[in-house]
Parts: sequence; structure tokens; C-alpha cells
Amino acid sequence: MTLIDFINFHIVPGVVLGSIYAVGAIGITMVFGILRFAHLAHGDLATMGAFVALSAIGLFGVSPWIALPIAMIVCAAIAIGLDKTFYDYLRDRPKILTVMASLGVALMLRSLVQVIWGVDSTTYQRGIVRPDDYFGILLRDRELYTLLAVAAIVIGLETFLRKSKWGKAMRAMSDNPDLARLSGVDNRHVTMLTWAIVGALCAAAGFLLGLNNELNSMMGWHLLLPMFAAAILGGVGRVEGALLGGLIVGIAEELSVLILPGQYKAATAFVILLLILLVRPRGLLNGKVL
Amino acid sequence: MSALLSMQAVRGGYGDADILQGVSITVASREIVVIVGPNGAGKSTAMKAVFGLLNVRGGKILFDGDDITGWVPNRIVKRGICYVPQVDNVFREMTVHENFEMGAFLRKGELGAAYDRVYALFPDLKAKRKALAGDLSGGQRQMVAMGRALMLDPKLLLLDEPTAGLSPKYMEQIFTITRDVRDSGVSIMLVEQHAKQALAFCDRGYVLATGANRHEGSGAALLADREVAQMFLGG
Repeated sequence: MTLIDFINFHIVPGVVLGSIYAVGAIGITMVFGILRFAHLAHGDLATMGAFVALSAIGLFGVSPWIALPIAMIVCAAIAIGLDKTFYDYLRDRPKILTVMASLGVALMLRSLVQVIWGVDSTTYQRGIVRPDDYFGILLRDRELYTLLAVAAIVIGLETFLRKSKWGKAMRAMSDNPDLARLSGVDNRHVTMLTWAIVGALCAAAGFLLGLNNELNSMMGWHLLLPMFAAAILGGVGRVEGALLGGLIVGIAEELSVLILPGQYKAATAFVILLLILLVRPRGLLNGKVL
Repeated sequence: MSALLSMQAVRGGYGDADILQGVSITVASREIVVIVGPNGAGKSTAMKAVFGLLNVRGGKILFDGDDITGWVPNRIVKRGICYVPQVDNVFREMTVHENFEMGAFLRKGELGAAYDRVYALFPDLKAKRKALAGDLSGGQRQMVAMGRALMLDPKLLLLDEPTAGLSPKYMEQIFTITRDVRDSGVSIMLVEQHAKQALAFCDRGYVLATGANRHEGSGAALLADREVAQMFLGG
């Protein structure tokens, strides 16, 4: 296998998959950092986002890339609604209760998807797309646009967190919640804002996975393990870490087929998760200790 | 001298037990008041009572004409009291400048003058404004914490053991800066372990023991008091 083949068959798909994991992992790391619990409904919220985009395409006849922002807004609203309906009541109780509640929410969301859209697989666009050649690197349009979309999302989010008043308040809440409250930051505002962003990120992850693969009601659930592995690998609470972790997990999964049968691809994320927890539980970029 | 803050026979605690058994402390405007006392005397607790972090079950806390007993911290901050906790008092993963920005979170409008003021008080921090607060030395971190609290332009600053764990050099520096802060028009209530040094630099002091007032007076008078000296100043 030549180097260019290696890049085209393993690295490119790994980077595309990894960037999708990254978008999901950023949401997980934000919930972890600011609200301090593991959000198990993250994957199924992504499924919901993917199918909302499908309906937007079907109902309004818009292109998938117009459907994406619609799905992001809808999922932001769903995430805020979930928080107000379920998680809010458990805010002052031990966090494990919220984690368990989020597992219940995951099952509800999945069932809802199955009731509305059925259990069969589907796609946004039919037909086979031939990749274009960029100096020897083969990229399909959707892959290129996926990478650009992820870059835009990450840059947009980082700018918001670094420059805006409320972005800084979110970082402050993640860094030192007591001091943030002493400074007059309203916890409820930050919580709502966090859920809006996390919901939108979920929708983006689900949409991009559906675009590059297919949509089915279990897609998000299967996304959960690699997303958590990516978030913890990068360091909990670190947006850049989740990006890095996502890319590493994605590339590692695509490389694993070189030495393992393809069916074991999904086990790669699990191995990475175990290793990082054993060797460096703070993650690559020194996140919070869980 | 009119009192800016007046705690009158305050009783209360975190849970059901009363840690404070009737503490009365007044702070006049532009005054540094130090609270000293043995471990468990309720020094930090008395300070937290002012900031609404305690269940106050008796007595009153008056501030600048308002009865602030039972107010939530958020409202007290807006009224003009800022509190610097003893530990975890900076945002470690944010820059020095961002820490100051967070301090001014509730403030609207132009902040240029507020930044100029804190950087004038803490010139060392000007060069480090882009450094992460968590990477600074203990003394500089304490300055960031004080600067953060001053960004809201409070009338009263509460400092909980600002020199804990600092070298004598930094302790001197923190005391000097505390004086500068007072001279810029802020009253200060300060809890200290280093009783001797603190009483030497303060305007007035209170000695608490087992949750109640034991002695009060000017710093010099307390230092000269034989009983106070026996209590903590090493005889």
C-alpha cells in the first residue's frame, strides 16, 4: 500500500469520522465541565437532530445544509426543554441521579424517533458520489463540507467562549462555580445557554454522521462510546481536548481495521477509554478529574 | 465616625448549631478592621455572615443604611460588598485580565477606569495580564483575587485570611496593598491568622473567642493588652 492509498483509505475517513465525534464530544465535555454530570442522552439527542434535519428536507424541500441550522435550533430547544422537565429537579441531588435520569431520557428520545420516523435506515441523498481528487487526496463533497462545517462550529464556539461576556461566564462556571456565583453570574442563565449550545452541537453531530453514513434510530446510541472516549481522552471540560480526542478516536478506529477484523472497529474507542483512565485520567490536555 | 457596617449581636451558623453566639462588629468608612482569634473562634464565620453565607438567627447586620440581614450574596454584591474567599479565590484557567472581567460581571458600561485602578494597585499584574491565574505564585494569585473583587467598586471589601500560606515578603506586600485600597476609599474587614502583624497594620481590631467578642480597640491598644498577648501573641 502506498502512502497516498494509506491516507485515502484510512486517514481521510478517520479524520472525517473523528471530526464528527469531536462535535459530539465537545458537547459532552461542556455538560461535564459546567453541569458536572455524564450526559447519557447525548447520542440519542444527536439521532433526534439527524431525523429533524431529514424532516426539514422532506417538508420544505431545502438542501441538507439549510436543514442543518434548522435541526440545530430545534435540538437546542429540545435540550433546554429536557433540562427544565427532568434534570432541573435533580440539580441539588447527587449527580448520579441526573446521570441515571439522562439514561431514561435517552431511551425516551430513541423511542420517540422510532415512533415518528420508524426503525428503517435511510439517507439524506441517494446515489453514489465519486470523490474529487485534491492533489492525490480523494475527498467527496460531503466529506469536504463536513470538515468545513466542523471547523466553522469549533471556531465559532471557541470565539464565543473566549470573547463574549456569557462565553466567559460559562468558562468561569466550569472553572470555579462558587466564585462565579460570588461574582454575580446567574447559574440558571449559564445552564440554559449551555443546553442550547449542547443541543445544537448534538444536532450537528447527528446530521453529519447521517450525511456521511446513514440514518437509523440507533445511530446516536452507537456514537455515545466514541464520544465519551474522545471527551475523556482530551481532558474533561476542555473544548480543544474534545476536538483532539475526537480526531484521535476517529483515526484510531479507521486504523484498527489494519490489524483487527472490521467488526471490532467499535471496540477501539473502548480500549482508548480504558487506557486513558488507567494511564492519565486527567486526559491529554489536563481536564478535570472525574 | 459613622459606621458603614454594623453587626449587632449576630447569632447563627451553617446548620442548626450556632457558631456565632452574639458577635458585634462595626466598620467605619475608610477603615481597616481586623478580626483575630484562636482557631474555631468564628472569625471567618463572622465574615461569611456579613456576606449572606450563614443562617443568621439573631441580631442584625446593617450596611450603609440598609438592613441586609438574610439577603442572598448576589444582592449583597450589588449593594457594594465584595468577598474574597480564603481558598479557590481565582479562576485558574482564565487569564488575569479575564479574572478582572469576571469580577465586573454585574457592572455595565465603560470599565477602562476600573481596570486602570486595579492595575495601578497591582502593577506586578500588568505584565501578567495574559497569564493564566492558576500559573501565578500564591502572592500574585491573592492579588488577582483582590483585584477581581475590587472591579465592582465595592464600598466594603471582605478578605478571608489573605496572607495564609504566603511568605513574609508577600505578606508585607498584601498589607501594603490593603492600605492602598483603603486609601482609595474602600473599607476593609479582614480575618487574619498572623495576629501580631495584622494588628500592627490595621486601624482597629476585634478579638473573638468561642463565637463572641472578647476584646476590641485600636491595633496598638490590643497589641499592648496583656491578656490579648497571652492569648495569641506567644506570651
